[in-house]
Amino acid sequence: MVKSLNIFVLVKQVPDQGSKAGLNPDGTIDRAKAKRMLNPFDRYALQAALHTKKQYGGKVTAISMGPPPAIEVLLETIEHGADRGFLLSDRRLAASDTLATAYALYKTVLYAGQFDLIFCGLQTTDGDTAQVGPQLAERLQLPQVTYCEDFSLENDKILAKRIIEGGYQKVVSSLPGLITVANSYHPLEYKSFKGAWRVQQLQRNPENLQKIIQTIDLDIIGADPDRCGLKGSPTIVAATEKVGDLGGNCHMHEGKSPYDLVQEVLACTNLQELVSN
Amino acid sequence: MENDPPIVQFCPKGNVLVVAEQSLGQIQPVTLELLGAGRILADKMGKDLHCVIMGYDLGDLPNQLIHYGADVVYVADDEALQYYRTLPYRRVLVDLLDSLQEPPHTMLLGSSTTGRDLAPRIAAHFETGLTADCTELDIGPYEHKSKVDPTKLGLYPNCLYAIRPSFGESLKARILGPWKNPQMATTRPGVMIPLKIDTSRQGQIHNIPVKLNSEDLRLIVAETVKEVSSGLKLTEAEVIVSGGYGLGSKEGFELLEQLANCFNSNAIGASRKVVDLGWIPYQHQVGQTGKTVRPKLYIACGISGAIQHRVGMSKSNIIIAINKDMDAPIFKFAHQGIIGDIYQIVPELITQFKALQNKSALGGKSVVGSR
Ligand SMILES: Cc1cc2nc3c(=O)[nH]c(=O)nc-3n(C[C@H](O)[C@H](O)[C@H](O)COP(=O)(O)OP(=O)(O)OC[C@H]3O[C@@H](n4cnc5c(N)ncnc54)[C@H](O)[C@@H]3O)c2cc1C
Ligand SMILES: Nc1ncnc2c1ncn2[C@@H]1O[C@H](COP(=O)(O)O)[C@@H](O)[C@H]1O
Repeated sequence: MVKSLNIFVLVKQVPDQGSKAGLNPDGTIDRAKAKRMLNPFDRYALQAALHTKKQYGGKVTAISMGPPPAIEVLLETIEHGADRGFLLSDRRLAASDTLATAYALYKTVLYAGQFDLIFCGLQTTDGDTAQVGPQLAERLQLPQVTYCEDFSLENDKILAKRIIEGGYQKVVSSLPGLITVANSYHPLEYKSFKGAWRVQQLQRNPENLQKIIQTIDLDIIGADPDRCGLKGSPTIVAATEKVGDLGGNCHMHEGKSPYDLVQEVLACTNLQELVSN
Repeated sequence: MENDPPIVQFCPKGNVLVVAEQSLGQIQPVTLELLGAGRILADKMGKDLHCVIMGYDLGDLPNQLIHYGADVVYVADDEALQYYRTLPYRRVLVDLLDSLQEPPHTMLLGSSTTGRDLAPRIAAHFETGLTADCTELDIGPYEHKSKVDPTKLGLYPNCLYAIRPSFGESLKARILGPWKNPQMATTRPGVMIPLKIDTSRQGQIHNIPVKLNSEDLRLIVAETVKEVSSGLKLTEAEVIVSGGYGLGSKEGFELLEQLANCFNSNAIGASRKVVDLGWIPYQHQVGQTGKTVRPKLYIACGISGAIQHRVGMSKSNIIIAINKDMDAPIFKFAHQGIIGDIYQIVPELITQFKALQNKSALGGKSVVGSR
């Protein structure tokens, strides 16, 4: 690979669903109270971006759309070795569905400049649609590799392995392209000492921070507000309903000796007819 | 007093269109399920059910789609469509929709790796709404009262209700977007009910042109590996003992073998992660991209219970999960959960199942659980 690659990675801050904090009585998330974290699926996308930089040379740009605290996930990407970030933050983006989100991210990508490869997570844990990546690829008129488990670059081509039902496909795509990274890709490596140090320095110096992580809004990127937020979203959530636990109502057994645990389970279930004789 | 809202006949026309999925000369089950669901929606609106199938050398498949409920089938048969690829399939669908007098009212795809790759591209191209991974679909009225966007106000008599789990399955959300057609959704495989095949059903078949440009061919499929496995046993066994990454190594499966052998009709299952690691062959994989199983007993050992695994086994009669992490998602849908280490629990299970065996060999109706 002759030139230095421009590698973009899209990351989202999501509520931490593991922690019970911040759940409204009706089961919806109170985003103000919930703990926040980097979307777990985006960790694989970040790893893919950093791997590409290490293997082929280039610069990693992390992009996120969300309220101001989302800067935390951009800082996290820098701790891991990303070079710079863009945070698109604007009240007019509230209630965006995937189409409006993809439009706003598309304008952000154009604003962020030249790119060869865009990595997205497979899906988010809060939106959970796996749509934003392909919708962004459509806006940018790019070829895409979704469910990508592994890839390499050769002669300006992407060689990738993607998951399909009952097996996998090996594909060859031209650059530039968009890849959504499956959770069977390599896990994110530890933060680098250099990255962590860099973030510490940035946090002490807000001016430098704004140079490395630019916070931008719809006006700066020239996005049409009518295509963003509630207005730009062709779908709405009309109703939500709490569903009980998934039917299972799991009978939990814990903290006893293995003998007692197994006795308990056998007492609750009749498996006699299944055992061989 | 406020006036009654106007009845807005937004996008009242258009049929229901199902995008079929085929592979190796077979229509995929999710397509038959979609035809079943689509038929109900179309009948509710008094519309027709259309279907489009893309591929190469499709033979009798278009007729089969009619036998499963389609009134009209569009067929794009071309060598370039032999394997699924985003851009060529996207082009054919975009051209088809452009050629129709009315866009479809509703457009449905499976939420398979194919449907979830293709549907968002189509939705973004036509700037229309798309709901992912639905578990229920319906048609019904909706009154939009929010004044945030006055252009959306009104009463919409026929809209697609796309209902899907959200927030880690703890909520069900009804999502809709009656303002623009097609109203799109992907549905989770294995949920909708197909119609019974009826070979006397009549319908129309239209061949549609395939016109690709060089932009559409920027990606080529070098190899497709589909493991058409013989693993019939997995779907037939009464008892499946399944292992995941928690086993720690491939040797762990020897222990699971011993446990499985306590049962008459048994098989070994696995998560994708351990199949990828080469601990066990693909034929054993259970889940979205493996097999769907429904045994009387499923024992999950060291499996976290990711959604893609769950969809392949959640209909088992009894699910026993062994996991050392009490927060593992598998405990949300297993019936019996043992929080503990596989290597302590499984040997004990083997011992006690062996004891049960001996009891039944003596002909006694066992009293399980007394010592
Ligand atoms: C498109 C797509 C398709 C997929 N298709 C499938 C599919 O068909 N089938 C499938 O299974 N997955 C599939 N996956 C992958 C899926 O998302 C998960 O990554 C996978 O199921 C995880 O496997 P696991 O549970 O074995 O591993 P992990 O998630 O790593 O879980 C291991 C579990 O073992 C527990 N554990 C560890 N040590 C012990 C011990 N000593 N004793 C007891 N418990 C222990 C841990 O607490 C943990 O819960 C797919 C993913 C994608 C993106
Ligand atoms: N608000 C956002 N900011 C940055 N990236 C996003 C955002 N929403 C979605 N993405 C990207 O799109 C992927 C799929 O998201 P989703 O369609 O919500 O499941 C994520 O893994 C991210 O890479």
